[in-house]
Amino acid sequence: MEGATWLAALVFLPAVGSPLLAHRSFGRFPFWSRVVLSGAAGAALVSFSMTLLALADRAWGVAVVVALATVLASGMRVLLRGEPATSPPESASPDVAERLAGAIACIAVIAALLATLGGAATSVDLVFFWGAKAQQFAAARGIDLAFLRNPAHQYMHPYYPPLVSNVFAFATTAAGRFVWTAAALTFPLTLAALAAALPGVLGGMTSARAAAATSALVVTTLACIGIQADIAGNADMPLYLFETLALALLLRPDAAGATGDLLAGLLFAAAATAKVEGLPFAVSATALALWLRGGTPAERAKASARLLGPTAVALAAWFGFGLSRKLFSAYSEYGRFFDIHLEHAGGIAAAIVTSVAATGRGLAYVIPLLCLVGAGRRGRMAALPLGTAAALAGFLVFTYLHSTGGPAQWIGWSAPRVFAPVPVMFALAAACRREA
Amino acid sequence: MLRPRSIADPALAPLVGSALLAALALWHVPWRQGLERPATLYDHSSAAALAPAYALLTAAALGIPPGASVTVRAEPPDAELEMWYHRFAVALLPGRRAIPSALYGAFLAPEVWKDAEYLVVVGPKPSPAPGRLLFETPQGSVWLRDR
Repeated sequence: MEGATWLAALVFLPAVGSPLLAHRSFGRFPFWSRVVLSGAAGAALVSFSMTLLALADRAWGVAVVVALATVLASGMRVLLRGEPATSPPESASPDVAERLAGAIACIAVIAALLATLGGAATSVDLVFFWGAKAQQFAAARGIDLAFLRNPAHQYMHPYYPPLVSNVFAFATTAAGRFVWTAAALTFPLTLAALAAALPGVLGGMTSARAAAATSALVVTTLACIGIQADIAGNADMPLYLFETLALALLLRPDAAGATGDLLAGLLFAAAATAKVEGLPFAVSATALALWLRGGTPAERAKASARLLGPTAVALAAWFGFGLSRKLFSAYSEYGRFFDIHLEHAGGIAAAIVTSVAATGRGLAYVIPLLCLVGAGRRGRMAALPLGTAAALAGFLVFTYLHSTGGPAQWIGWSAPRVFAPVPVMFALAAACRREA
Repeated sequence: MLRPRSIADPALAPLVGSALLAALALWHVPWRQGLERPATLYDHSSAAALAPAYALLTAAALGIPPGASVTVRAEPPDAELEMWYHRFAVALLPGRRAIPSALYGAFLAPEVWKDAEYLVVVGPKPSPAPGRLLFETPQGSVWLRDR
């Protein structure tokens, strides 16, 4: 029963995001895409509200968090003043390919659900820190400084971005206790959310059947990697959701403008506050999107403010909390920043390939790559997902180069998960139409 | 099955690819256990070696009162495992004071944890008995220590 309540509390996320997504300019998205986008925006706003409350030394409670996040979502509508009403593309009944793609995506979600319930996909990081922190924060009704400062708890990485532990703490507060199985089930739940939202978001950039097939490829890729790399209950699946939807939004021809940019910006903020690698993803995707769009310097400045403003504000609140409490002042990971060990470069490449190849024989990485190669020459917008994938991969190698004693073990348990957005970007690039 | 529009139908490759990956995802579901619910969330994961500790600590949560101090040890002693067990104890025994017996793969001096009121031992029962046996499960035992 508590597990059901814990999961049901996540319904607050789309509810919180709905005042913003109810704006007429978001009418371009089909119903389920709009619901999931509301949930993703809601997660960013709930987490931000909890960080703000912690910063102000105010106790967390379901009502106060929901109220503050809803006020923020409503307030953001001001930024959409003057944006015209839009409506979703006329819906035709789905053809065989679309139905088949939907069925395949459902099978992948069911596989993720069964693997999670069967104890075959749970991340140890759920117990080691995501869940442990959320449980403690819910009990403390805020970010528990004594808990994070305990020298025996340094493995919990006090500086880690707060979204997942905040949202889990929110659900724990609503349910009355932390429910481990419910937290693990966020993997199939978030995967299902992606399966529901992505066809409608991609539908703006390609045909309905190609959008459905690409969505199925993305969902099955993440199901495969998620099951084999044990991501249930950690921050990886929420990160994949935010990153994939943000990129898909930016690929749409109607992306430029306050509506598209603000929503993508909120998703980037969610990604950057879910995991460390969400920040380089957001920055590189924004830079590439602006470069591909062109426009005057003033237009680019306005768009970059919309795209990266929410991330800057969310991270400012988090680092403001860390600095003001003398808890952390930077991301530290496993070495001193810029203390690069180039002697490990060759070993890093080999370890990444070995680790990825050991995850389902690497098929979840190879198949989207083959789809991309088989799609032939793509439109120039394909540079957005491909460039972002390259930037993310570069960032990950850069972090591995900081390891003093050789990162082989670190790569072994992290690479299959952290490189998962790369095949997703391959799938999205393959869907980019060639310009006439 | 698909409408024969053209050989370059953009839906074809991702559909075939996703069907292969869906089959692969199903392949990795632990079907052999049937409808039986696993004892822990980790029984068939890559962290299956930690599943006994998870099960024992979940059971111990019912017998160790809030506010009590507790240390988790492995039998035979193993610094690496005891480090992981401590992390499990922090998460699965909320409201108790989990004291580590090992950190980062190295044992801590026994003085660090000698005052722990409860001892959870993953594995066979230790000898000599470290206190009064509260209960045991197939995964280990829970003791109220002599102090």
